[in-house]
Amino acid sequence: MDILVLQILNSLFYASVLFLLAAGLSLIFGVMGIINMAHGSLYALGAYVTAWVITFAATAVHPAVLFLLLPAGALVVTAAGVVIEPVLLRPLYKRPEEYQLLITFGLLLVLEDVMRFVWGGTPLSASPLMDALGIVHVGEFVYPTYNLLVIAIGVFAALGVWAFVYRTRFGVMLRATSQDRRMASALGMNVGRVYVQAFGLGCFMAGLGGAIVVPSQAAVLGMGVEVLVLAFVVVVIGGLGSLEGALVGALIVSFVRTGVIQFYEELELAVLYLIAAAVLLVRPTGLFGRPQ
Amino acid sequence: MSLLRTQKLVKHFGDTRAVDGVDLIVSQGEFLSLVGANGAGKTTLVNLISAYLQPDSGHIFFQDQDITFLPVADRIKAGIARSFQLVNLFDDLSAFDNVALAVFSREGKTRNLFTLAEKDDAVTQETLEVLREFGIEDKRETLAGGLAQGERKLLDVAVAHALRPKLLFLDEPTSGVSTRDKAQIMDTVSSVVRAGKITAVIIEHDMDVVFKYSDRIVVMQEGSILADGSPDEIRQNGEVAAMLLGAPTST
Repeated sequence: MDILVLQILNSLFYASVLFLLAAGLSLIFGVMGIINMAHGSLYALGAYVTAWVITFAATAVHPAVLFLLLPAGALVVTAAGVVIEPVLLRPLYKRPEEYQLLITFGLLLVLEDVMRFVWGGTPLSASPLMDALGIVHVGEFVYPTYNLLVIAIGVFAALGVWAFVYRTRFGVMLRATSQDRRMASALGMNVGRVYVQAFGLGCFMAGLGGAIVVPSQAAVLGMGVEVLVLAFVVVVIGGLGSLEGALVGALIVSFVRTGVIQFYEELELAVLYLIAAAVLLVRPTGLFGRPQ
Repeated sequence: MSLLRTQKLVKHFGDTRAVDGVDLIVSQGEFLSLVGANGAGKTTLVNLISAYLQPDSGHIFFQDQDITFLPVADRIKAGIARSFQLVNLFDDLSAFDNVALAVFSREGKTRNLFTLAEKDDAVTQETLEVLREFGIEDKRETLAGGLAQGERKLLDVAVAHALRPKLLFLDEPTSGVSTRDKAQIMDTVSSVVRAGKITAVIIEHDMDVVFKYSDRIVVMQEGSILADGSPDEIRQNGEVAAMLLGAPTST
């Protein structure tokens, strides 16, 4: 019984991180029609920056202050996104999709090398945050309290993004632009600004995902590519462009993954791919996706 | 006083002279119908005036300002709005949001990212008022994609109206709806337009509608203006009436 609770918590922890990542990926696709191959690398960048800032500050400040530095990675990634969209992506919207895939893939390679250059091959961790919160007892097992914080952040992020997209004026503009860019601009909206904001928001979520994961799992080279594959599985299952799909997909992938790892670790990715393939066969647009 | 004036406006598509030296004057406050057979150049003319197309030559003056090269957004700011021949709404947004978008875009209130949609009383009130004027207030929560065809037409005009234009173009507002809905749409549109003292230019094929609601009728043929006059004058112009109504020419 206790082990079940533990596995559920593990799944929710992972789902929180995956949701942040996949929701950002979906948001960017939904608004701009771009599949951002560099999304996982932006997540890794968020992890590295937060780990680096925390390591740097750990000796100097009180642990409580360290928690305020947690979003540092997310903010740096947002700033990167606000530059990337107008400079690299905007000139390519009128080109075929291959160009967009190529440039975001190129960005992935550049970011991976930048991280290798700046932080080298040694894993970077932000464990002081993990240690500061201690552990909770789940029956005979112990569980890091920090992971519960990550789950809480995931829940807040899901609610926050939902409210942002469906309850604010920006959300109305975002949904309008994603449906018909020309109409939106005909109404006098500044579509370029909406694009920067949407891309920035997607990057913030990716960076936040990396930032909150790094106190419990060290930042390592290649983590971005690894997680990008899972994020794609999430959006294939949930439907690219749908926030609800990102949430449900993240939960499905996390629970299946945790379950499979428990019984037969080698099958982890195979089972996830099979689920994605099955969804594609039955509903090619994903569970919540709509035909474009 | 003329609100809009075109001067020798020309737009050719290859060998097709879609608009061929048109001098059109639209006076302040009138309800003008633009009629003619398919391909007569009506929609092209409206596209030129609303900046969806660039003319090959000629000029467009709005309130005596040359607007020939102003982009769409600036023409909207100047006070020119249009609804579309094919209903062009945001299907996944509610009727309320479709209109609200026009209201706050017009007000330039598009910067405050975190403003809750329902928190801005001025925008909410004005949006509800527009929906009420067009008789679709009870559909405010319905997604535009789920509205009946007649309601979509009304919402389409409501969105254009919410931009508070001085000059409103309506491209076939009653195409594809039942006769009963047609009368309702036109009654609503004409009462809103007249109450707001808005100048309206309507492209319409249904001559009953045209004769009933217009102050003036401009007949186009092969890119040029064939006739221009009051509904009575057009009716009495045997050749034009025959072309429009398909009746035999009385000699």
